[in-house]
Amino acid sequence: MLSENEIKILDFLKRRKESTSQEIAEGTGLPLSSVFSIIATLESKGIVKVISEETRKVVRLTDEGKLRTEQGLPEDRLVTLLNGRPLKIQELRNALGKDFEIGFGWARRKGLITLENDTVIPKVSQYVSPEYTALKDLQAGKEPTGEVLEILLRRKLVEVKEEKMLRVQLLREVETRPAELYVTHEMLTTGSWREYEFKPYNVEANPPFFPIGKTHYFRDFIEKVKDLMVGLGFVEVSGDFVETEFFNFDMLFQPQDHPAREIHDSFVIEGKGNLPGSDLVRKVKEVHEKWWRYSWSEDNARRLVLRSQTTAVTARVLSGAPKRIRAFTIGKVFRPDSIDATHLIEFHQMDGLVIEEDFTFRDLLSTLRDIFQGLGVKQVKFKPGYFPFTEPSVEVYGFIEGLGWVEMAGAGLLRKEVTEPAGVFSPAGAWGIGIDRLAMLFLGVKDIRDLYSLDIEYLRSRRVI
Amino acid sequence: MPTINLNKWILQDMTGLNEQELVDYLFKLKSEVSPVSQDEYSIEVNADRLDMLSLGGIVRALKGITGKELGEPSYPVKDTDYVLEVEKVASRPYALACVIYNVKLSPDFYLKELIQFQEKLHDTIGRRRKKVAIGIHDLEKVEGKIIRYAPVSLSTTFIPLNQEREMSVRDVLQETPQGKQYGNISVWDSNSPAIMDERGILSVPPVINSDRTKITGNTKSLLIDVTGTNFESVMETMDLLATALAELGGIIGRVKVRGMSVDRSPVLRHTSVPFSLDDVNKRLGIHVSRDEAINLIRMMRMEVETNKDLAVIVPPYRVDIMNYTDVAEDIAMAYGYDRFTLESGRTASRGSLSEKSEIYRKLRTLLVGAGFQEVYTLVLTKSSYQRGEAVNIANPISVEYDSVRNSLLWNSLVFLSNNQHSRFPVRIFEIGDVVNRDDSKDTKYSNSTRLSMAIMDSRVSYEMLQAPLHEVLLNLLGVAPSYRRFESDIFMKGRSAEVVVKGETIGRLGEANPELLRSFGLLYPVLLAELDLDALRRVM
Repeated sequence: MLSENEIKILDFLKRRKESTSQEIAEGTGLPLSSVFSIIATLESKGIVKVISEETRKVVRLTDEGKLRTEQGLPEDRLVTLLNGRPLKIQELRNALGKDFEIGFGWARRKGLITLENDTVIPKVSQYVSPEYTALKDLQAGKEPTGEVLEILLRRKLVEVKEEKMLRVQLLREVETRPAELYVTHEMLTTGSWREYEFKPYNVEANPPFFPIGKTHYFRDFIEKVKDLMVGLGFVEVSGDFVETEFFNFDMLFQPQDHPAREIHDSFVIEGKGNLPGSDLVRKVKEVHEKWWRYSWSEDNARRLVLRSQTTAVTARVLSGAPKRIRAFTIGKVFRPDSIDATHLIEFHQMDGLVIEEDFTFRDLLSTLRDIFQGLGVKQVKFKPGYFPFTEPSVEVYGFIEGLGWVEMAGAGLLRKEVTEPAGVFSPAGAWGIGIDRLAMLFLGVKDIRDLYSLDIEYLRSRRVI
Repeated sequence: MPTINLNKWILQDMTGLNEQELVDYLFKLKSEVSPVSQDEYSIEVNADRLDMLSLGGIVRALKGITGKELGEPSYPVKDTDYVLEVEKVASRPYALACVIYNVKLSPDFYLKELIQFQEKLHDTIGRRRKKVAIGIHDLEKVEGKIIRYAPVSLSTTFIPLNQEREMSVRDVLQETPQGKQYGNISVWDSNSPAIMDERGILSVPPVINSDRTKITGNTKSLLIDVTGTNFESVMETMDLLATALAELGGIIGRVKVRGMSVDRSPVLRHTSVPFSLDDVNKRLGIHVSRDEAINLIRMMRMEVETNKDLAVIVPPYRVDIMNYTDVAEDIAMAYGYDRFTLESGRTASRGSLSEKSEIYRKLRTLLVGAGFQEVYTLVLTKSSYQRGEAVNIANPISVEYDSVRNSLLWNSLVFLSNNQHSRFPVRIFEIGDVVNRDDSKDTKYSNSTRLSMAIMDSRVSYEMLQAPLHEVLLNLLGVAPSYRRFESDIFMKGRSAEVVVKGETIGRLGEANPELLRSFGLLYPVLLAELDLDALRRVM
């Protein structure tokens, strides 16, 4: 397989059999440096042979030399500008810019002009300098010598460089076919693809960026939890973020002067909601006043908050007085807090509710163990706990390698003070699990804010297993 | 949860338990122990167990759970000549007092522990002294036998605790740190409640005691006053204090009370909570015998009445026992949560995802297939980002999060704004809830589930977003959506449309208005779309 440039050189050599690198460069239009490297490749393929290698001095135009070859030398341009008439220095300066000084110097030295006060008087009406002629010759391939070369070197219009020259001989004829990049529909239709050489790709180079679509890793975790709960026989329910204190607190038997209900513990929304029309409210008021011994205020219960626990959803489900249910919800809750690597003011909870006639505390512990095993927490232990709305209450600890026992959930059987006002008379188990912290443990996330990252490169770079 | 610090060596000595045993047994009693220094434990106590906020209470509970002592201890109680006269104090009507003899406040640890208990009661049952406040005095420094609880004028003077000079009540309220913190709770009509002996003020509840009757390491007996706005809570607090000190060897001295519904204090109230063993076993899912249940209850330092039906005699220090479910929990705790045998898979019911979750999953599969990166952003946002009516938080903790998003578009724009130096193109989607006004709801607001899609690139055109959106909807619904020209200041004029399915508008899309981009600091063109998934569900 030959590259396009290799073919060019071989085609050139086919006509000559033997040639120099410089002739090849000229003949093919390839830069000399490329010619050297292609010759080396062809030699390694055994197609050409380098007969000799010599170094010679060559004269090359400098950048300024190239410029002067195009524009003319400054003194030439000065004389042309004068065109046989005297002109003020200032006018010439304006016309020639920074070339004026050079042109003026050389023109005086060469006796082409004289200066009277501020006026330049030409002594000739036309002038082509020998330097310019030499530059043009060089461009045409004829190198300057002797005095002219000296002057050009001094004026930094040319430089002398050492250049390698290879003499190359073609060893064998190779069939050279035109090289193509793409296979086309037409080539396939006509079969003409056989006539082409297809350029090899640089298959080992890294590709350019290709954005792929990807699911969000934390939401994947949440979906996994949902699947687990569905597998355990639970029906998913959901609720709204804005909630009355009635469902967020009162129905859950949290007295209105409970420290958790102080203003700095939940986000308050202006306005008041409506309470359910049933006698649920009256019964909730009764149990509060009976057990907590204060005067329960309907007005406080109507206050609006961003729900601080998904147990508010459980309370809503309960208010529908289901006879028998297994329900769960996963959603955001909101609590004022300082924001740092382990705290945010919004996070997820997974609340569950079981109402079954023969449901026991032992069944609750069993269910919790099943949930955590499903999540991959092999070992759990139960600590007696306290929540205003459950009795008995339990805190669930899970064992995490490298961390030890970590508190993972709060649970219990709902108090009768919670279920009976709602018209539920069977035992009811309930729990709340903080999902963000679990996700951090399982996903190896150190900073909770990364679960809600605004950096797309972070999301793109996270592996999915 | 409240936390108390206790001396390691004293606790180990009083209970005969080593560190590991203390950790294990307190775990069974809802508490967590962590050593804070060579000599001290920090113990986290659950909010219902107010009795365990004291050394005496913790020792009592530990002796029970380890089986060293069972049932309610009998504490020595004797009557005294002290009389508490309660006058009408409008802002804080209830007061009780008691005397404790034979207290031990030395070494220093005991004194500190008593003050800690007082402070923890203030913070819990006392609701930061609003509901209940406690004053503790050196009885020997109290003059006379008549203690009065009455209003005093703010110009009355006394030397407040740890001050050098006599001050008026008014100055105390205005100048001392306690006065500034608690002064406004009980003052009314230029009066403040005060506890007084024959010589003058002993304390100004709920603010500060007098310096005159300050307790020290040498104090041998105490006068304790408890005042508050709720009689039950005042009584319970008094009982908790008296029984905790009695557990450490104190002798409870009863005070005569005038002007309250009781004539003796402390009341040391006992209540009877009947229960059926069957109910308890059914609630717990275990089978303990009658004798075993009685023993377990006595391990929790309560007695059981066994004559007829079973009833727990709730001692004065267990203010958390309300009905048989609380009894069940205590039985379960004494039994040991770790002894419950667990079963698997007892359910035969069938679970299901909500319809919302089902649609979410289908959409996200399609959107990922269309090459969009899913993002997940916070619900709370900066109100100045939002357009239109939104829920604002009355007590935000930061202006960055002072409102609830009413659309996902703002979150998408913030996200894009954060990624202007990332590799282009940026193609994102998010599915999540926003909150909007909804007068049909009892809260006046409801969640609405939205889908947002956005593309940011060095050059964008309407079709770059319309085409994938179209294919996603076509695949989801089996019906091709149509588009109706629609202008809004969110989009560039002539470059936005409503998405219509079966005649219903379910969303909008277009090229973002450069004015909008500027307000989010965006320097690249952006395409935006937002669909209302609830509307989408209605046309499915």
